[in-house]
Amino acid sequence: MVIYLKSGGELRTKLQPDVDYYTRRVETEAGLSLKDILAGIGINPAFVAFALKDGELKRLDYVPSEGDVITLQPPVSGG
Amino acid sequence: MASEEEMERYSRQILLPGWNQEKLKQATALIVGLGGLGSASALYLAAAGIGRLRLCDGSRVERSDLNRQVLYGESSIGLPKVEEAGQRIAALNPSVKLEKINVFLDSYKAGELLKGCQVIVDGLDNLGSRFILNQESLKKRIPYIYGAVHGWLGYAGFFLPPQTGCLACLMQPNLSQPELVPVFGAVPGIIGLVQATEAIKWIQGITPSLLGRLLIYDGLNLTFDIVTVEKNPSCPLCSKA
Repeated sequence: MVIYLKSGGELRTKLQPDVDYYTRRVETEAGLSLKDILAGIGINPAFVAFALKDGELKRLDYVPSEGDVITLQPPVSGG
Repeated sequence: MASEEEMERYSRQILLPGWNQEKLKQATALIVGLGGLGSASALYLAAAGIGRLRLCDGSRVERSDLNRQVLYGESSIGLPKVEEAGQRIAALNPSVKLEKINVFLDSYKAGELLKGCQVIVDGLDNLGSRFILNQESLKKRIPYIYGAVHGWLGYAGFFLPPQTGCLACLMQPNLSQPELVPVFGAVPGIIGLVQATEAIKWIQGITPSLLGRLLIYDGLNLTFDIVTVEKNPSCPLCSKA
């Protein structure tokens, strides 16, 4: 199964995009959660607060489907 | 009843349809953290005529704060933020009653802090304290207006379980946090003003636009996105509230 992960800012460098400036193509096993997929490509899930797919917020327990385009959002802690 | 002076001061907002200045005058808002977010929200809540502001922050002003913490100036450096903030707010609107609490949230009983407040405005700078505030707001059923910034990015949300989800429905508490957060100064200004707007709407009896939702502001690309924060049925905090 193929999904596409996107991110900007500092998280982008961790994502190591390969499709365009923001996007990485990821081949993964179906049925895995986003958290497991991130761990599988070497991204510590602690660097991702939540994700967006088609304008909807997804937690890291979301199980992606084939072709999903998912934007990763970083934790934001400053004030 | 509003005095003649108050009628003049607030005359432009009293023109707004349905506006009730007395509701603001009778309200207490708690602002925890007087950094970039708290600076913006405190100034605009005070300018609008909030009756009482409870300000909580245990830190002192540093020069590196001044790119974004507009409550302070060069002469504030080294002084307690709550005192400097209090002076600035009193100069802006002397009718606002101020409670200045010069401690960090971690070292203060959060429950005490919330007593008598209609709304909590998050001006904090770390996730741990935000989760403490989130939890206390749940216990007391007081709306928690979340705000946070990093770089060009800002988040804001309005949580009021059981009507909405809570911060823990949105993210885990054990996320990565840098020691030093880069911040473009206008970002906490914008997010802090969104928080003040939502607080005032709540006090006025207007449904906050961010109720159960999250604003994602990207200053670099100038985008504003709003997404719904669904309640997490297995949320360790609010699912049991």
